[in-house]
Amino acid sequence: MDPVNLIPTPDTIPAPAWLFLVLDLVTFLLHIMVINVVLGGSLLMLFARFGKKDMRASGNIFGVLINKIPTSVALGVNLGVAPLLFLQVIYGHLFYSSSILMGVYWILVIPLLIIAYYSAYVHAKNEKLARIAILITSLLLMYIGFMQVNNLSLMTQPEKWAAYFENRGGTILNVDDPTFIPRYLHFLTASVAIAGLFTALVWSIRTRKNPDAGKNNIANGLRIFGYATVVQVVVGLWFLMAIPSDFILQFMGGNLLFSVVLLVGFLSGIGAIVTAFLGKLRPTVMQLIITMITMIITRQNLRTLYLEEKFQLESLQLAPQYGVLILFLVIFVFGLWSVWYMVKGAITVKEGRAA
Amino acid sequence: MNYPIWELTTIGGGSLIALIAVLHVYISHLAVGGGLFLWLTDWKGYRENNTDIHAYVKKHTWFFLLLTMVFGGMTGVGIWFIIALVNPAATSSLIHNFVFGWAIEWVFFVGEITALLVYFYYFDKLGRKLRLNVAFLYFLFAWLSLVIINGILTFMLTPGNWLETGNFWDGFFNPTYFPSLIFRTFVTIMIAGLFGYVTTVFLKPSDFRSTIMRYCSKWLLYPLIGLIPAGLWYYWSLPENVRTTNFMLNPQTVPFIQILIITTILIFAFGIFLSLKGNRQVQIIATFVLLIIGLFWMAGFEYSREIARKPYIINEYMYSTSILKTDLEKVNRQGVLKYARWAAVKEVTDANVNEAGREIFNLECLSCHTIDGIRNDILPLTKNITYLGMISQLTGQGKVRTYMPPFAGTARELEALAAYIVGTLQGKDLIMHPEPVETGKTESMPSAFDPKADRYVLLAWNDLGMHCISDSDPWFVLMPPANTLEAQLIRRGEVPELVSDGVELTYRIESGFENPAKHVPFWEFSEQNFGTVLEENTGLFGKGMKGSLTFDEERGGYIASAIPVVPYNDDGSFNPYPLFSLEARDAETGALLVSTQVVAPASTEIGCRNCHEGGWRMNGVAGLSNETAVNILEAHDRLSRTDLLLQANTGQPQQCQACHSDPVMSAEGDSLRLNMSAAMHGWHANYMPVSGAEACVLCHPAYAEGCTRCMRGIHAEIGVTCVDCHGEMNDHALALLKGENGKSSAARLMAALEPDHVETKEEIIPREPWLNEPDCLTCHVDFGPPEQVDAFNVWSENFAELYRNRYDNSGIRCPACHGPTHAEYPAINPMDKTRDVLQPVQYTGQPYPIGANMRCEVCHIITMEDPVHHENMYRMFRNKADLD
Repeated sequence: MDPVNLIPTPDTIPAPAWLFLVLDLVTFLLHIMVINVVLGGSLLMLFARFGKKDMRASGNIFGVLINKIPTSVALGVNLGVAPLLFLQVIYGHLFYSSSILMGVYWILVIPLLIIAYYSAYVHAKNEKLARIAILITSLLLMYIGFMQVNNLSLMTQPEKWAAYFENRGGTILNVDDPTFIPRYLHFLTASVAIAGLFTALVWSIRTRKNPDAGKNNIANGLRIFGYATVVQVVVGLWFLMAIPSDFILQFMGGNLLFSVVLLVGFLSGIGAIVTAFLGKLRPTVMQLIITMITMIITRQNLRTLYLEEKFQLESLQLAPQYGVLILFLVIFVFGLWSVWYMVKGAITVKEGRAA
Repeated sequence: MNYPIWELTTIGGGSLIALIAVLHVYISHLAVGGGLFLWLTDWKGYRENNTDIHAYVKKHTWFFLLLTMVFGGMTGVGIWFIIALVNPAATSSLIHNFVFGWAIEWVFFVGEITALLVYFYYFDKLGRKLRLNVAFLYFLFAWLSLVIINGILTFMLTPGNWLETGNFWDGFFNPTYFPSLIFRTFVTIMIAGLFGYVTTVFLKPSDFRSTIMRYCSKWLLYPLIGLIPAGLWYYWSLPENVRTTNFMLNPQTVPFIQILIITTILIFAFGIFLSLKGNRQVQIIATFVLLIIGLFWMAGFEYSREIARKPYIINEYMYSTSILKTDLEKVNRQGVLKYARWAAVKEVTDANVNEAGREIFNLECLSCHTIDGIRNDILPLTKNITYLGMISQLTGQGKVRTYMPPFAGTARELEALAAYIVGTLQGKDLIMHPEPVETGKTESMPSAFDPKADRYVLLAWNDLGMHCISDSDPWFVLMPPANTLEAQLIRRGEVPELVSDGVELTYRIESGFENPAKHVPFWEFSEQNFGTVLEENTGLFGKGMKGSLTFDEERGGYIASAIPVVPYNDDGSFNPYPLFSLEARDAETGALLVSTQVVAPASTEIGCRNCHEGGWRMNGVAGLSNETAVNILEAHDRLSRTDLLLQANTGQPQQCQACHSDPVMSAEGDSLRLNMSAAMHGWHANYMPVSGAEACVLCHPAYAEGCTRCMRGIHAEIGVTCVDCHGEMNDHALALLKGENGKSSAARLMAALEPDHVETKEEIIPREPWLNEPDCLTCHVDFGPPEQVDAFNVWSENFAELYRNRYDNSGIRCPACHGPTHAEYPAINPMDKTRDVLQPVQYTGQPYPIGANMRCEVCHIITMEDPVHHENMYRMFRNKADLD
């Protein structure tokens, strides 16, 4: 069966595809940053808990993460809603197909996420159960990441979809793809790295008010970031080597834009490692942001390569709804203002100034 | 169609959606109402300067956060996940139309989450103004997210003008948008109160606790005042066909409406109870019970709303099967297997019928049905029908019971699906046509007649060419045993005379048929079915298996009505043509004037079992079996919300005509219901998978290879079939239904029927059953050879005008010379050739109508010249050649 025949016909889109792509990538960037903190933070906490450290001691490096993990789940999930929405507009016909093929695993994400989320609260509130709770949270979040990688990779490989005719029960996965393990690891190590960097950031804000608090924590956080990113670079190279060879060539000069973006990301990553080990927080953060942006664009470029013959965004038909788009943008601005108002108010009172 | 189908044959995708969605909606309504609750209660705390209230609010916020942000938020994403898995086509349609609506809703979620996190985590630090503002913002954003999702949700049920314009705003502000928004807003307030109990009830007993308990009760109870009118407004905003289809026709809706009503009452009761002072333990238990009742209330409401959309997922646009309404014609032409991308086979062939059937089942049935699973399990639903029955069901699907979509695909695909369900899933044989049987063989000899010496001619006939009987008396009676024998006695002469007095006419049924009570349970149930206790072997008008005929002035002849003949011989054989022997004797002397014989046709070859399963009751050839009768009553109970099976099981069966009026049974029935014939034909016409006479003989005892073969007159011999006089099944049903114009069920049954013998439904002339019948003279203009062979749509005016009741110009009844309908002379009986022409052969030596071939001397003794009886009679019989 010609895989192209299995690709469902997409519906019309209410605004140009590039708009949804930009919205998707931007909101995904925000989402993945927060999720990296959540997952990486959980893994770091897990490691620390089993090292039997006293998490609540005032100088403990990971103590700052305890309460942030549950709230970050809330933010992370919310920031995941947006890319999920925009992805469905331009890639929905592919995404639904791959989702259905792994339906059982995919729908299990929901109850497991609820358990992981509640478990994070247990971890934050109950010292006795904290170890088992953070273990549960970590494992379940790793499951969810595992399934995300399965789904999004399977989505770009319609040539594998004929497996449906042997298995209609929703238990098809993509783990035997040569890129699967490096993809998944690339995400896991990123999480540890970002969580380490985030920890350093939080301590940097704390030490501004109280210079004696957790003296080495910033440096240690940066070191976690540094080591994790070294592993990340290696895994990244593995990932690059695992993709189909003509795609590798595209990233090594074949496609100028793809190659430049990847190179910038790579160099920025190396730079971040250097500044991290040098203990310089700000440049590390800046370079990391550049790396993340370029990596997300590279991920999209890779997706385009996989789908080359099978689906192009240009083929989507436009049925414009510009009026509603403008309304969305207006409301978005209002929403941003409200969030700023509330967050500013909270920070103001936190710092002891009058409400 | 476009997408692969997740084979959830046990749970069913719908069940997963229901589970996730009902939980989410319960909690998300709490999120909205609870926001209002926190804001107003916090404000109340400030106004009253009451720190107890503030402590309560903070505690309640923690509970609220844990429940709404974690469980509520995640299950909301869960709905997105599951609907894309179970109905990706509809989800894609919604996403691509309403993405910006959802994007706006997402902005509100961001505001909501920020507000709640700030409110809770900085509760003690924010001053009054900021804190109340943040609480208000939380509620505002929560309610605004309801404002958005309400548009998309109500769009699915009532897309309104979007169907023509495709415009976002037409779809969003659709006919049920505002009723739903207001209704749901009341719901959010009620649920806020309901969940308020959860934190309040655990407080230590105190005045404060009682105050807050009462406070929560107000939140729970007051909105009911607005909820009920809002709910009614919502209901009446639905299009009429939606209300009819799903709140009247669809049996699935009933339990959910019941749940909704009962839980509403319970919620009210619990609310009152919890507002009173009482034992803390009891109140705690009551609170948790109320939580569950609330969940059921939510389930009842959401389920009813979802069911109201059937057979569509997006009303009037996309069926639950993901087939677009506008694509239906294309799918029927090219086939559903070609239309679907993910079907393993693209065409039904002889080799792949089972595989094709399974694919079609997945495509068109799995969206709502499971196989041996929960919810709408297809196995019990299709257990009691045959392969032909399944084909019929698929043929009629969605035509009358409009909550199911019509079958989409080619005829071959329909059969493949039926074969899959009946053959593979039910493990039955695929029988399309009733099995051929041999008729019995008999011998008959005409009575004696001496044309020179005999002074009288006795002509006798059964009023109908076949009397059909339903021998299922313990369950119901459609037609009881009741043959009506009529006769005219003619004194021969140049001017013959019709005799009306001075003679005694008697009849006697053929030996072996004198004891019908031995073979059918009619007499055991005559009181229940007919309201009278009848002596065994006596008919409804008191006539027995032998007796006398009485002269009827109006009918111009002798008659014995409702003789309970049954086609079961004491020797165990089936014979639908037992003979009556008649004798005419001088009343004074008792001398025998003349005797003759005539067939008393009666058959129990009633074809319900061809679709409704059950086999034959007697000898494997005829009779309504118990199983079939039970299946019929079950279907009737389900479709018409009766309890006939229960009544029959408790010994109280009824005749169908207790509700369905019927001239032939002189039954008035119930004025709201269709008459018997209109109901039967009107319903089944929608499901009939075959056309022509093939349709008629699925039920009536005229199947060419059956045990009765009642179409045996000259018309049948020369190839005239049922539909030439009565019209196709559709025509026949439409004429009857038009005769019941004004009854809502008539309109419903007519909606999907199209006429065959005329161009439009408007041209069909309404008729009453048994009284307005096709007339011979429509084709036999002036009693001549037929000008054309189509007697449909021209009806006898009344009972007196029927062929069997009419006279010629000299007072002789038409059937006296020509034989009864469906067995007109020369008739060829399937059991022996002479049986149905005993009188013509007796009196004229030929099987033709009495006096045919100018044999006037039968009655006149001499030959005649004028065609007095009716025009065009004075000639040789036309179709002689076809009979040899």
